[in-house]
Amino acid sequence: MKFLSLLFIELKKIRRSKILLILIIPVIIMWIPSIVNASMNFDVHDIPITPENNFFIQGFMGMTWFMIPATLVIATVLLTQTEQSQNGILKMLSLPVSTIRLCLAKFIVLVLLTILQMLFCIITYYASAIIASQLQDYNFVLNPLFVCTNVLTLYLAAIPMAAVFWMLSVLVKTPIFSVGLGLASIVPSVLIINTKLWFAYPMSYPFYLLMIQYGKAATGIYSSQIDWFPWFPVSILITILALILSCIRFGTLKKR
Amino acid sequence: MLFLLEAKKIKHTGYLAAFLLSGIISCIFPIIHMLVRAETFTSLPGNPYVILINANWKMMTMFNILIVICGACIMYHTEYANSGMLKMVTLPVNSIHLFFSKFLITALLLAGIIFSQITVLVGCALHWFPNASFDFISILKNTGFQWLIFLPTAMLMLFLSSVCKNMWISLGIGIIMVFTVSIFPQDNFVVSLFPFCSPYQTLAVVDENSHTQFFCMSCIIQTVLFYLAEVLYLKTRRSFT
Repeated sequence: MKFLSLLFIELKKIRRSKILLILIIPVIIMWIPSIVNASMNFDVHDIPITPENNFFIQGFMGMTWFMIPATLVIATVLLTQTEQSQNGILKMLSLPVSTIRLCLAKFIVLVLLTILQMLFCIITYYASAIIASQLQDYNFVLNPLFVCTNVLTLYLAAIPMAAVFWMLSVLVKTPIFSVGLGLASIVPSVLIINTKLWFAYPMSYPFYLLMIQYGKAATGIYSSQIDWFPWFPVSILITILALILSCIRFGTLKKR
Repeated sequence: MLFLLEAKKIKHTGYLAAFLLSGIISCIFPIIHMLVRAETFTSLPGNPYVILINANWKMMTMFNILIVICGACIMYHTEYANSGMLKMVTLPVNSIHLFFSKFLITALLLAGIIFSQITVLVGCALHWFPNASFDFISILKNTGFQWLIFLPTAMLMLFLSSVCKNMWISLGIGIIMVFTVSIFPQDNFVVSLFPFCSPYQTLAVVDENSHTQFFCMSCIIQTVLFYLAEVLYLKTRRSFT
């Protein structure tokens, strides 16, 4: 079976899963306090940052720290559990379909879901920036190119993390551990980006990039230069390793 | 009897181990915090225990809330996964007892976790602060309070996972609640009464504002309300499916 048709089948499977609601609701919620407290963006406590940059960065703070990883965990649960109930996964595995392709197709669906959330993020950012501008009589709207590239890099940085969560959900048989480990790994990421070993911890990548943006917008808060080395090779290595491991182990727990 | 049955059910789900692990991690957290930056705290004036709980409770509660969400999802996931729920419903047992046994297990484990967390905090105070004193009654009092204000969250989460047949929906709702609470201002008293937000409060802060009795009453009422919501749901379940 072609990879593309496998992908479409996987997308069809989650059609009625209501996952879209779970993707959209936090994106909408995250802007409510930003709009309500838009006037606080002018009160920057001696940090040299423009209100519109402050609005953008404060809005995305909770998202990158907690919600992007958490959405990925929820989506992995969706992908692994939709087929468990009627043993649908057994039927899939008994078909003449390569398990590696099946595993990769599911991973691509996971990435597609996050891309979808990214699009919602950009749309709601503009909506809330326009509302806040109207309320405060100050232009909060940033250049679309700047916003799109930034949000895109935030979400691209989430791909290694997605691969790790996917690996966890494939390798760990009991769902409470795969979900629990995923959620527990989010909590310390705030502490880890301030250590020297942040590049080895995929859950902190999006937050790190946002902090770099913060550093660029307000000098002195955080470093304004991305340490491409050793981050870039390490993140690619982590992604590939996680994907290889999950492809090898995918289905083996069920086949036994 | 149903309680024992429920305890048996969670045996192979890793529920107990997950609670234990999360409890251990959250207990280690303040110790590491003190090892790294003890001076920042020992130089602060005031009650050592209060300083420590203010510094660490947010992180520890985050772990507790996440494990309660996971646990509630798993408890009902095992029922729904292979239509075990249908079998349970056909038995001559009242479904609400099933729900209550699940709640009882969660509450008991939570009490254990919170007690050990408070004890670790007191231990840290005794070890690092010269003027700290050991007081068993205050440990019990703090544990009781922190446990009580956690109950609405646990009950609501169990209710949500009993309503949602698919685990990702109940998990998603729980996570979205945690996220919402984390981005809204928490110094607002009314907001702090809501489930998912109340566990972050500490006895010291609530006592300072002399809201303790009101806070406890509100949490008990909320717990009962969510229980009643489950009763109502079970009565009207047929119209949903």
